[in-house]
Amino acid sequence: MKNQIDIKKIVCVYLPLTVILIFILFPFYWTLITSVKPEDELYGMVVTYWPRSFTLESYRKLFTTTVNFLGAIKNSFVVATMTTLVSLTASTLAAYAFSRYQFAGRKILMCTFLCNNMFPTVLLLIPLYSIMRKMGLLYTPTSLVLSYTTFTIPFSVWLLLGFLNDLPMSLEEAALVDGCNRGVAFVRIILPILGPCLVATGVYIFMTSWNEYTFAVMFTNAETRTIPVALKSLIGQLGVQWDLLTAGGIITIIPVCIMFFFAQKRLVEGLTAGAVKG
Amino acid sequence: MIQRLLGKKTMAIAMAALMAAGTMTGCSAGGKGNTEAAETTKKETTEAVQATSVAKDGQAPTGEIKPCTIKFRYWADNTNYSQLMQDIIKKFNAENGKGITVVGEESPWDGGAYSENLFNAKMGGGDIDCATWKLTSTPLFVNNDLLADLTPFIYAWDKKTDIDENIYNIMTEAGDMERIYVMPWNIQVLYVYYRPSIFKQAGIEVPKTYEEFLGAIEKCTMDTNGDGKTDVYGFGMRGAKGGQEPWGSFVNGRGGSFKDLTTPEAEQGMQDFVDIYKKGYVPPTAISDGFSEIIANFQSGLTAMTIHHTGSSKDMEKVFGDDVSAFPFPTGKGQWTSMGDTETVIFNSCENKAAAFEWVSYLAAGEGQKMWCEGTGNVPVSKSIQASDFFQNNRFMKASIDGQGYAGIVPILDTTTEWISTLWPNTVSQALTGSITAKECMRILQDGLYQ
Repeated sequence: MKNQIDIKKIVCVYLPLTVILIFILFPFYWTLITSVKPEDELYGMVVTYWPRSFTLESYRKLFTTTVNFLGAIKNSFVVATMTTLVSLTASTLAAYAFSRYQFAGRKILMCTFLCNNMFPTVLLLIPLYSIMRKMGLLYTPTSLVLSYTTFTIPFSVWLLLGFLNDLPMSLEEAALVDGCNRGVAFVRIILPILGPCLVATGVYIFMTSWNEYTFAVMFTNAETRTIPVALKSLIGQLGVQWDLLTAGGIITIIPVCIMFFFAQKRLVEGLTAGAVKG
Repeated sequence: MIQRLLGKKTMAIAMAALMAAGTMTGCSAGGKGNTEAAETTKKETTEAVQATSVAKDGQAPTGEIKPCTIKFRYWADNTNYSQLMQDIIKKFNAENGKGITVVGEESPWDGGAYSENLFNAKMGGGDIDCATWKLTSTPLFVNNDLLADLTPFIYAWDKKTDIDENIYNIMTEAGDMERIYVMPWNIQVLYVYYRPSIFKQAGIEVPKTYEEFLGAIEKCTMDTNGDGKTDVYGFGMRGAKGGQEPWGSFVNGRGGSFKDLTTPEAEQGMQDFVDIYKKGYVPPTAISDGFSEIIANFQSGLTAMTIHHTGSSKDMEKVFGDDVSAFPFPTGKGQWTSMGDTETVIFNSCENKAAAFEWVSYLAAGEGQKMWCEGTGNVPVSKSIQASDFFQNNRFMKASIDGQGYAGIVPILDTTTEWISTLWPNTVSQALTGSITAKECMRILQDGLYQ
């Protein structure tokens, strides 16, 4: 009887799970082993699924050649962090205002936030480039932070708005009765409850900025280039430097994995919050 | 209710107008700047050329050159090329003696989006002075008045004749057919790879004429083990995308040209192409064979000849050692081979064009040309550098250099991209399988290119 259950469980649960896991994880595995294969094996005629010998040469090259990957990581980190802080602050305050206040032009402003995301990025590229150049911000991380906020703030506002609308007004009213003003009530009552949703929104903003390429290639130069641009520079006209590209890919996903590791619980809470009205 | 509807409509219209105005403002800012820059440029160019009565030996006109910084945008195909370009820039900055400082800005090739990014940057008023280039982008930039006319600079340059006249002609054809907007830098000329051992086995010499070449294809197709099946095919035909380059050599070999693909000569060239497929002188997979397949077939010994450029020569030597060589595509009634290109341009907005020309001419015929071509294996455009031992002792370089005089490109038209990527492979495959005749095929190709 127990054996029957075990076989049923293996066939119905573990086997499909293993197949799905292999399907999902194989690209990561392939990226990893490609990054540690020696050049002659990598570009050889025979495909090897496990490297005959291991080398960290591609990782060394990544940090010592013109790619300057360390600089790119630093720039990406600065840009993504700054964008997250700016976008999260602006969108939290905006979402709170939209949720709690009825004022003239409220709907127009909310629609404008939505419409902004309907523009193809490429359409914004030349005007934004021109603006950044005239403001003297071109080739600085600030130009990227500002341009990223054009699409991260609208999305974040709508994401947070859904959650805030579900929060009962009585919470703040109780705080106001107890002697808090609006500001204190927001900081002491609303913000702590908003925690999971802020984490989810923050992760979204961080990852979008971390991976963005179109603006980054236009608004940066050798000193300020970010990871996606540095990785793209390894894809040439006649060939791809697979060893460096895969090594760069592995390093790029490490910070994202660490972030997910710590934020996973709150991320899921935040994404599902506001989905069901009680 | 009506009021609310009207309100919503007004809001929608106002927002649409606002968006359009915002976009236009951004775009027009660059445009205005460019027009102003264009007017200044024409004046500056004339003055620069007039002021330069005698240029120093091996240098560009220097009349207007003052110490300045030139911003140079380039792409590098790998990290070695990137380092090489930085070394060239460093050397130029140290040795030019005129106070010119070139600042290199690397941008990814990004599957050709390099040119689009460059265009966006220039339309947005970007301060890039000069850049590496692909001829196919020229019409877009010329029509938007973004490129400086290099004709006066080139005509006043004492090394003008160091570059083959045919290359200048190609540069002119890519622009407005009158002026040269593009400075030659390096090229990849297609030639025929062959296996000397198979030629020996077939009892033939390197073909000197187009007819001999067709004969060589036939003779090199052999059943080496007597089992009644072909073991070696005479030619590795590229029937997939990109195949228009070797195909163009067949059409021109019979006296046809890209100007009119429906002439009897062009049709005969197409018929030759069809015949070598139907007679089994090329692998049966030729219709779908692309770059990787023709190279793999040649390297595995399945084909005796194939057409490509120096980009694959190192691998060929690695596989065959001395048992691989090359010859330029032979002459028939006409002669043509395809040329891959990389050039440089100077933008209209550049304030120090004479200094920028000093830099691009250093890349075209100076030490920059030598360093780049020796380092990357590309074919130099400078005849004096071509004559050096480094290039003359390399049989593949030699074949490329021998072919540069009649090398050309597929006409750059609005239809070219679509023609190359879709129409050519689809139509030619129909002709090869016999669904349409060679004549019908050429009519479709002609209409598609010049619609």
